[in-house]
Amino acid sequence: MAQVTDSRDGRIRGAIGEQVRRTKRFADETETAALAIISVMAVSLLGALVGFLAVSNWTVLPFVAFLGSSAIGWVRYQEETAYTIALMMTASTILILGLIIVFIFRESIPVIRYESATVFGVSVPGLRMFIQPNWDAVSPPIRYSMVPMIHGTVMVTLIASAVAAPLGVSAALFLSEIAPATVREVVKPGVEILAGIPSIVYGFIGFTVLGPWASDQFQTTGQGSYLFVGIVVGLMALPTVVSVAEDALSSVPESMKSGSLAMGTTDWQTMTSITLPAAFSGVSAAVLLGVGRAIGETMAATVMLRGVPRLTDPLVNVFYGQETLTSIIARNYGEADGLQMDALFVAGVILFVTVLVISIGAQYIEWRMHKRLGGEV
Amino acid sequence: MAGASETDAKLVESETTETDAVAGVAVGLSAVLFALAVTALFERVSLTGSLFGVGTVTLLGGLLTALGVAVIAFGAGSRLGYVETDPDPSAGLVAGFGAAVPWVLIGGSVASQTLGLGTGVGVVAGVAVGAVAFALTVLPREDVGSTLPLGALLVLTGLVFLTGVIDPAWAWELDWEQQAAITAEFLIPAATLFAALYGGWASAKAYGGFGARGRHMGAYVLVYLNALSIVAFLCILVAYVVVQGVPGLLTGVDVGLGTGPETTILGVSVALPVSVPFVMNGVALLNDFQGVLPAIVGTFWLVIGAVLLAVPLGVGAAVFLTEYAERGRFTQVVEVATNGLWSTPSIVFGLFGFAFLIPRFGNGKSLLSGMITLGFMLLPLVVITSREAMLSVPDEYRDASAALGVSKWQTIRSVVLPAALPGVVTGVILGVGRIAGETAPILLTMAGGTFLPGSQTVDVIGGFQFTATPPFVANPALLEATSALPYQLFALITAGVGLGSNVGDPDAFRWATALILLMVVLSFYAIGIATRYYFRRRLKHT
Repeated sequence: MAQVTDSRDGRIRGAIGEQVRRTKRFADETETAALAIISVMAVSLLGALVGFLAVSNWTVLPFVAFLGSSAIGWVRYQEETAYTIALMMTASTILILGLIIVFIFRESIPVIRYESATVFGVSVPGLRMFIQPNWDAVSPPIRYSMVPMIHGTVMVTLIASAVAAPLGVSAALFLSEIAPATVREVVKPGVEILAGIPSIVYGFIGFTVLGPWASDQFQTTGQGSYLFVGIVVGLMALPTVVSVAEDALSSVPESMKSGSLAMGTTDWQTMTSITLPAAFSGVSAAVLLGVGRAIGETMAATVMLRGVPRLTDPLVNVFYGQETLTSIIARNYGEADGLQMDALFVAGVILFVTVLVISIGAQYIEWRMHKRLGGEV
Repeated sequence: MAGASETDAKLVESETTETDAVAGVAVGLSAVLFALAVTALFERVSLTGSLFGVGTVTLLGGLLTALGVAVIAFGAGSRLGYVETDPDPSAGLVAGFGAAVPWVLIGGSVASQTLGLGTGVGVVAGVAVGAVAFALTVLPREDVGSTLPLGALLVLTGLVFLTGVIDPAWAWELDWEQQAAITAEFLIPAATLFAALYGGWASAKAYGGFGARGRHMGAYVLVYLNALSIVAFLCILVAYVVVQGVPGLLTGVDVGLGTGPETTILGVSVALPVSVPFVMNGVALLNDFQGVLPAIVGTFWLVIGAVLLAVPLGVGAAVFLTEYAERGRFTQVVEVATNGLWSTPSIVFGLFGFAFLIPRFGNGKSLLSGMITLGFMLLPLVVITSREAMLSVPDEYRDASAALGVSKWQTIRSVVLPAALPGVVTGVILGVGRIAGETAPILLTMAGGTFLPGSQTVDVIGGFQFTATPPFVANPALLEATSALPYQLFALITAGVGLGSNVGDPDAFRWATALILLMVVLSFYAIGIATRYYFRRRLKHT
């Protein structure tokens, strides 16, 4: 073990050393004046960021300094300035993700403290949100349980995946392997447009057309069911599955398919025994990303569900739809304050972490597939 | 590939026979049943009424039975050697599971509900019946295995409808705490739908003469049907919104010189020759016709702001990642972060904007917060698409430029960026289409009241002021809550009945808002897709 840590330490030190050397080389090769401009830019932008975080009215000063120094740099040393600006823009994507993490976690801390539960004499913060199913923001005991919403999200996601996965993979097969060029030119933009239809429009149609119809068909009291929210959300996740799976299928080398066809197999045999197995990890990444979309879908669920945070009775009763993690935020942000608002942030944290894990998992799977197929990573 | 399969089909296939024709008719019958089931599901065809002089349920039952008999007859004929086919020894596990699933459901529900034996017995019976169906599919030769269990399923469903065991008044009370029932109104079309799919699959296999070609046929029927349904779904969805929305959109439309509102074009004040109150008015007590102008203008500024923020940032990041950075930890982290941002739920962006931006811009919802939140959402899309576009610029271009002795930045500016421009532009337009329809992020950061009077239409350009105290620049228009089309629609839905006092016909008003929103978003998509085709065609020509 000690050796492993040693070697890792060594590697990190080596990497840092390499970085320092590179920075030094850059500093040596660059003119002093250009370096000065770059430093002014970096410091002033950092100052602007700090000022913005500290809610200062003076933020504008360092920002103007940054703009001014960039303008001077652009005229005098365009090469170095362009490099620096591009680097700063790249760092901004990481910065935004970091800020999201910090801010939504920070807001959720008070309610996690409030919802502590004692297990074997140890007080575990936040545990009570997951061991009892009661959400009541009005009358004491005030409880903010996440259980009903997690149940709702799981139900909707399961149904949505059951819709989106088979239909999406089949459509991807159609687009990448089966469709003649002219048909493809029609269906592919169609799938893209399907991705563009705003979720609130889906929700509106679900609310005005599907909701009353479903309530009548299944003789339920009032409208709003996980079943139909799941189907609608599944249709919304469909384009994601199709486009990612199609990319995976078309990244299977043509030589593999031709080799199989040359053996006298039918197209379908080639697809099931060569293309699909070779692209399997990419296709499962597509399904994963579709699941991620389904979990995060907000407006359709908000409009179509009942908005009463409780478990359905019995748990498998998909004909009733109460609330999901996304819809509770969209529905309650208006009148919520204090602990209730923080509880909404907890729902946001659960969503964010789940979807981030799914996204990273899907990327890992795709990366492995590319490596195995010998393509460029 | 499609061309190749046609050729070898001709090589292998023997001459068309009557049996082929029978199988073809069976596939056609399945298609008719499928269409009937869909129309009945959405109550375009009444179950209690009649079609072609026959009761709907009876007709469905009769067609299902006929299809089932045809499927079984085909399998039996092939097994006994009357029909020339090319079956494999077994239909395979996938077909086995496919056949087992409906039989498990039938066995389970008949045992537990019809015979009243309870849930435990129901599960056992379901599994047993499913196992029999599975064995009957997998064990015999393929021609029997892929027709008998499915044909029997069709005949059973058909007979249940024909004999009236399930008639239009039938309902199965689920006896749950939250009351729900499965009614014939739903069960009959749904069962017909799935039975038609199974029938079509089995008869397409038979049409292909079983074996590898038969399976190819069966699978292709389903895959084509799926693709067709997706396109049809899209068309119906758009057409439905258009049909519902047009009356509301066109209320009070007036065409003629001087009817429209005054507007200034190139310094000259002109009265537009068309008046469409719905898109030219706000909501006010004295208006003849109410409209959503503030929301349209809000959406417009929102998109402009998001693009101004996200496009430079995203393109810059893409330049750095593709041109400057060597592949390593840093680029990997950025990639993971961008993809993570791309899949982050929109409502989480809303929460983030609520916690991070609102306290920094005057502690209230504002247009500026909405712009920045949506810009953050657009950023990963811009990074991803611009990167793809830059990666697809051939390295020869860069090498040729470098060989001329110009610096890296000059190469990027005058070679890489122009070559990647079409991809970047297309990606940005499609991304804008996506964020223009987003409701969740602006819900928490920007959106104000349900109805805005026309006087509250934001005027960003005219709103800039310079002040003596820091931050020296102020723009009240940017710091006020306003509306946007997707939020307007959401507010209209949640406002429910209270809408009546403000708007004459609330339903028409809602649908018209949905139509305008859809038109705005889809026009971005149309422009994006058209741009792509334009550039692709130009690339092919040169």
